[in-house]
Amino acid sequence: MTDLRTRLVAHARTVLRIARWEVSRSAGTLDRRTAVIGLVAVLVAGGIAAGAAGGGVALDRDLYRVGIAGDSPYYDAVDQSSTLDPRPVSDPNVELVVSETHISVADTQTGRAAYSAFRDAVQSYNERQMAREENQSAAFPVVVDLQYRERAALVPAGSRVDGGAGGSGDAGTGGGGGTDAGTGSGTTDGDTAGDSAADGPDASDAAAADDGGVDAPSFGGMASLFGGDTSGSPASISPPFPFASLVLAFAFLVPMNFVIQAYGSSILNERINRRGELLLVAPISPGDIVAGKTLPYLLGTVAITIAIAAAVGGGVVSVAAVVPIGLLFLASTFVGAMFARSFKELTFVTVTVSVFLTTYTFVPAIFTNVTPIALISPLTLVVRDLAGESIPLGEFLFSVGPILLAAGVLFLLGVGVYREEDMFTQRPVPLKFLDALDSRISRARSVATLSALSIPFVFIAELLAIAVLFVLPVDLTVPMILLAVAVIEELAKSLHVLAAFEKARFSRTLRSSLVLGGLSGLGFFVGEKFTAIAQLAGLQSLTLGQTAFAPSGVGIGDGTGVSALVVLGLFLAPLALHAVTASVTAFGASRGRSAYGVALAGAIAIHLVYNLQVVSALG
Amino acid sequence: MGSPRLAIARRELGSLRKEKTIVLALAIQLFVAAFSSFLVVGLVSLYDPGAASYQVDVAVTGDEEAVEDLLRAVGTEDGLSGRPYSSTSAAMTAFQERQVDAVLAASTGEDGRIRVAAVAPDTGVETTAVVTRLRDALRELERNERAERSAFLATDPLSLPPAADSSPYFGFTYTVLVPLLLFLPVFISGSLVVDSLTEEVARGTLELLRVAPVSFAAVVDGKLLAAGGLAPVQAVAWMLLLQLNGSTIESVPWLFGMVAGLSAVVVTLGAAVAITSPDRRVAQLLYSIGVLLVFAGTSLLPLSPANTAARLALGTAGVGAKVAVAGLVFVGVVALVGLRFVVDRVDPNELG
Repeated sequence: MTDLRTRLVAHARTVLRIARWEVSRSAGTLDRRTAVIGLVAVLVAGGIAAGAAGGGVALDRDLYRVGIAGDSPYYDAVDQSSTLDPRPVSDPNVELVVSETHISVADTQTGRAAYSAFRDAVQSYNERQMAREENQSAAFPVVVDLQYRERAALVPAGSRVDGGAGGSGDAGTGGGGGTDAGTGSGTTDGDTAGDSAADGPDASDAAAADDGGVDAPSFGGMASLFGGDTSGSPASISPPFPFASLVLAFAFLVPMNFVIQAYGSSILNERINRRGELLLVAPISPGDIVAGKTLPYLLGTVAITIAIAAAVGGGVVSVAAVVPIGLLFLASTFVGAMFARSFKELTFVTVTVSVFLTTYTFVPAIFTNVTPIALISPLTLVVRDLAGESIPLGEFLFSVGPILLAAGVLFLLGVGVYREEDMFTQRPVPLKFLDALDSRISRARSVATLSALSIPFVFIAELLAIAVLFVLPVDLTVPMILLAVAVIEELAKSLHVLAAFEKARFSRTLRSSLVLGGLSGLGFFVGEKFTAIAQLAGLQSLTLGQTAFAPSGVGIGDGTGVSALVVLGLFLAPLALHAVTASVTAFGASRGRSAYGVALAGAIAIHLVYNLQVVSALG
Repeated sequence: MGSPRLAIARRELGSLRKEKTIVLALAIQLFVAAFSSFLVVGLVSLYDPGAASYQVDVAVTGDEEAVEDLLRAVGTEDGLSGRPYSSTSAAMTAFQERQVDAVLAASTGEDGRIRVAAVAPDTGVETTAVVTRLRDALRELERNERAERSAFLATDPLSLPPAADSSPYFGFTYTVLVPLLLFLPVFISGSLVVDSLTEEVARGTLELLRVAPVSFAAVVDGKLLAAGGLAPVQAVAWMLLLQLNGSTIESVPWLFGMVAGLSAVVVTLGAAVAITSPDRRVAQLLYSIGVLLVFAGTSLLPLSPANTAARLALGTAGVGAKVAVAGLVFVGVVALVGLRFVVDRVDPNELG
């Protein structure tokens, strides 16, 4: 007991010492002049960004040219629209000509888009004109009270109807939390106060919502944030879209890109000219070195996250959801820096990491209100936290768990190659990856462990596939999801076996490939049972969620009237599948890389057929 | 002149090819473009009523006169059909029993306004489709009512031209996708120059220049040529790909010139930063901030690069945009000459 404690204390001391050394060394590279230049540049860039946000950077300024006479009643509408560029009627280079009697449109896509923009411009011009009218009840003769109601599955007639729906609402007293959509000009000063970050000062103006830059949703301000009920003129109602919360959630991701730049450089620096050798020969474990070098960057990320959370009004949940993302950023950069051969390669790795992780976390969060799949990203939790919703523990774990596990496994892999023969050699990235996998295999049993450890990545990859494919019609997505699942899972079960064979860790016999395949399948099967977490978030209610996870046997057994033997059979069927396919790939891997490729294709085919059977049997 | 620079440029490109990083770079750009397109297609189909074919049934109830007006307005909207109900409770029951997707209850207020209580289902995707359609119908109602009350208005609202079909993705392709595909390679090119130079310093390979028949200026030139030349080539390739995909891209030579000019500015920035502070961590940070500065700064100009690119690609740019491109190329040349001036005064062995 005391032995363990002294050892832990010793480890902690080493880690702290290396962390201090890392900080002081990094500070040393930054002389005062560069620091001042950097600071000035940041301030100027910040000022410009703020100015740009305040002044409204219109990407679509003067996109379409409209030939229109100066005395036309439509002239002001065209002139005030940023998208349209008024030209004299005589100008031949225009997409649209507005004359007194008719509108002529160039018969091209551009012409039709210009016409659409013109129609929107007229509509919002009218709204602005009406807002200036003295007689507001004539200018806005219709007042809408929008309410969202949940519908139960089936309700007996007559029940569930209460007052309030009967048109008793007043304009200006929306029922939703803190929204105040005054007639016409939906000035929304919700508690998030982020409208300067929205696209231009007009973003919250319901009248101008129509000529939003991209033809995507018109962000009608925050009045309808999170389905809060709204009321106002018809122009001011819009579908619930958490725009402001999304912008704020994105603010959490931006600094991480800078942190991983510095972190990746620091790791790769150790590997240039054998600089890290001194540290390696010291009586310190590689794990401690890596922990020490990572600690300052992790603490930096946490500090920045807390600062941002304090600034945008996020709570503990926001911080707790963002820090795992930061850890995953660091973990993947660490592995990338361990694999990269040069700074150039590292740049590409860093850009890949930030692009991939940013999209993985940000894109699902956009669908926060739309589908439970959004929960695969912890940023969804942030968006909901910013909107003041409470988050059940199960959903929190579902969202954060895979990310944390993946970060841990990546660090484990990277530490495995934190040794002389890998750090100071120039080998292609795929070979280094196989090295890293192999470094975790010491005996046959480790194959099972690695298979189980691949689960978080499999989970993330499969969820990503679902998230990408869920827009398509279900008929098309189900087979595609099944194929994606088969490819991902077969790769996860066989890559480390291939690595072990390539490194001649096991004899290339049929017996050993059967043993390894069986173990890999077993490990994967055990790990897969943890995907039962998916049920907690209610993902199974989605058709696609069922498709992806039904073949793993999750959720089987709650059917009534099924005999125990069948349940047991169904429960163990995935185990048999995984063992068989993993043995096929293991056998291929034992015969070399091209044989592995063939075997992998075969295993994927078996897996796909099995999945299709299960889905059609259960569906 | 010439050959040592080209040799160095070839070597730089060769190392990119060997490390297969250029493949990764292209994959990243494709991923970004694909994902942003997916995003918009997904968003538009979720939030734009025209993009999804989804029939919304609306229960209409309330004052007799208002109901008539409402039903007429609802009828003009595609994908929306109205059904009259005798009472609000009957309509709500139909809503709960899923016979209708939304309820509109109209009443006339004291000030003569029509008050509409709208009830929409709280179910994500469906909600957005229902609400956007209700909005369009209600705006139609508003226009009709306004026309009836025009006697009380100081200005008559302009009559709205009829709606027409236009792809909701059209604007996005030109205002977001085109600038993204044009400028992302430029950013990566500059980053490459920073990496390439800081790595030479870190590995101490610039020392070898003392005995090699190549000047430091030639080395820098070669690196700039390799990295800076990649961006315009990639940009044109992306534009051709978009062209193949059915989006007409006009004025490709001008776009090429624009990317070349911008790329000259950005690689100069990268080289200047790498020479001033040869530690990669600091250099990359400064470079990122510098690029941010360049892009944020130019976006404030009346002819911002993103907007100019969109208009050039769309074919709606006037003379101003072309002058801007010429100006950008000029600035790029000036930057390169200025950099040359600085590089000639730098002793590579004192870097680091």
